Amino acid sequence: MDIIFIIVSVFLLLNIALGLIRVWRGPTIADRLLTTQLFGTTGMAILLVLTGYLEQLTLLNVAITFNVLAILLVIGLVQVWKKKKGESS
Amino acid sequence: MSVLIDILLAILVIYLALQSLLAPRLSQSVFLFFAFGLALALAWVRLGAVDVAITEAAIASGFLGVLFLDALRDFSPRSSEEQKNISTVQNSRSRNSVKSLLLPRLSLVLGLGLFLLIALEAVWNIPDGGGLAADAEKLLPQSGVEHPVTAVLINFRAYDTWLEIGVILLGLLAVFAVGKIQIYRKPIPVVDDILLRQVILFFTPVLFLFGAFLLYFGKTGPGGAFQAAVLWGAIGILLHLGGRPIFLLIPRWLGQLLLTLGLLFFLILGFLFIAGGATLFEYPPAYAGVLILIVETLAAISIAAALTAMFANLNQMKKEESNKIDSTN
Amino acid sequence: MIKEVITVILLVVGCFFFLAGTLGLLRFPDLFSRLHALTKADNLGLGFIAAGMAVYIASPWVAVKIFFIWLFTLLASSTSSYLIARFQKEQEQTKNRKE
Repeated sequence: MDIIFIIVSVFLLLNIALGLIRVWRGPTIADRLLTTQLFGTTGMAILLVLTGYLEQLTLLNVAITFNVLAILLVIGLVQVWKKKKGESS
Repeated sequence: MSVLIDILLAILVIYLALQSLLAPRLSQSVFLFFAFGLALALAWVRLGAVDVAITEAAIASGFLGVLFLDALRDFSPRSSEEQKNISTVQNSRSRNSVKSLLLPRLSLVLGLGLFLLIALEAVWNIPDGGGLAADAEKLLPQSGVEHPVTAVLINFRAYDTWLEIGVILLGLLAVFAVGKIQIYRKPIPVVDDILLRQVILFFTPVLFLFGAFLLYFGKTGPGGAFQAAVLWGAIGILLHLGGRPIFLLIPRWLGQLLLTLGLLFFLILGFLFIAGGATLFEYPPAYAGVLILIVETLAAISIAAALTAMFANLNQMKKEESNKIDSTN
Repeated sequence: MIKEVITVILLVVGCFFFLAGTLGLLRFPDLFSRLHALTKADNLGLGFIAAGMAVYIASPWVAVKIFFIWLFTLLASSTSSYLIARFQKEQEQTKNRKE
């Protein structure tokens, strides 16, 4: 069973590494933020898998921390950058 | 087999750390840094330090995230004309100040060199035989909590933690100083978008509850004041972004009280039992559990207030700066 | 035994959706179609992996916690998709107006 968990974790980590291409290339800031959201979700999935693998239930708290703060970045981008537009026009 | 995860994580962490410094464009480095925070949190989990992983997750993806996005806005060119203005202002500034910068740079280099020497000396003299872990484990029943990390942070090395809270307050003072204390003017208009408002309204109690859970859970497992503080600070930032800047809504003295409460109470508590013959920051074992919980709650409130104030200041300060550049040209 | 088989199946399906989401993020032409790829990974990928781990750990309290993780992710990802899409639209409109 452990080997499955390791394979899944490595696979998800490779997914993150693959997604970095979009961070490098992404033409707009929204693209990059989108990729970061995907990284956060993938990280949560890895943490869930590690919870089963290491049998340490407190890892769920790390996942929830990522979880409840994920929205903060998006609201930050939308609100902070919206004001910029209002200033320049 | 599990070494595969570790190797991959190590490569990822080092690669992201290097690239977030070396990336040619600012937005690339900022978002690579977010990925770096995620990889680092996973690395801390693999190292068995769940406390640090929670803090890293909260700081990197929450607080630093919005700070960086705010900074990125100020450094990104609004239009080609404005960009030219900004660059000319910067050029004239740097031309005037080349000579005056020499002394600070020299002292910075000397200070860093000295720091490096001291750090090397400290590493050289690390005592072998596991350090103080065994002593800490032995004294754990007297500390009032069951989680060794919390016991060390709030009880055994309370002095350290007290100074850390002070450091955050000092950071806030530095932000005040840079912003020339022109604070909390011009409130952001309340968001009229109904979905955005509902999401802020939904996540505020969730963040508060989870922060309180982490604070209380610090007694028995990974969690504690700093983790809770970042989550509560995220509430303040969310409300600020939603057009309800907390420090504008409450009276000024209350804001100042919130900012200094944790530091003050910790200090009073530290000196309180000296009269009874105890040493600095020593609590009577019978009340230690309750006292630690109170200290942690107040410290978390103070740190959360400081983080919120930092973001609110930096967010409003730069607006002033850009207006100034506009008006001078 | 049957529990582990279910877990493995759920994890593999979740991994498939994560791969689909990442490839979609890389291959789709513009931001609005990339949003579509992201929500697949958020909703289904994390959903299947969470379900797999809930089955594997098999404790009701942990299952509730994992369910809430998934629920919050659904909320956050759907809202952030809307917010990012609207943000991008506004940015493009101001850019067009300037030209």
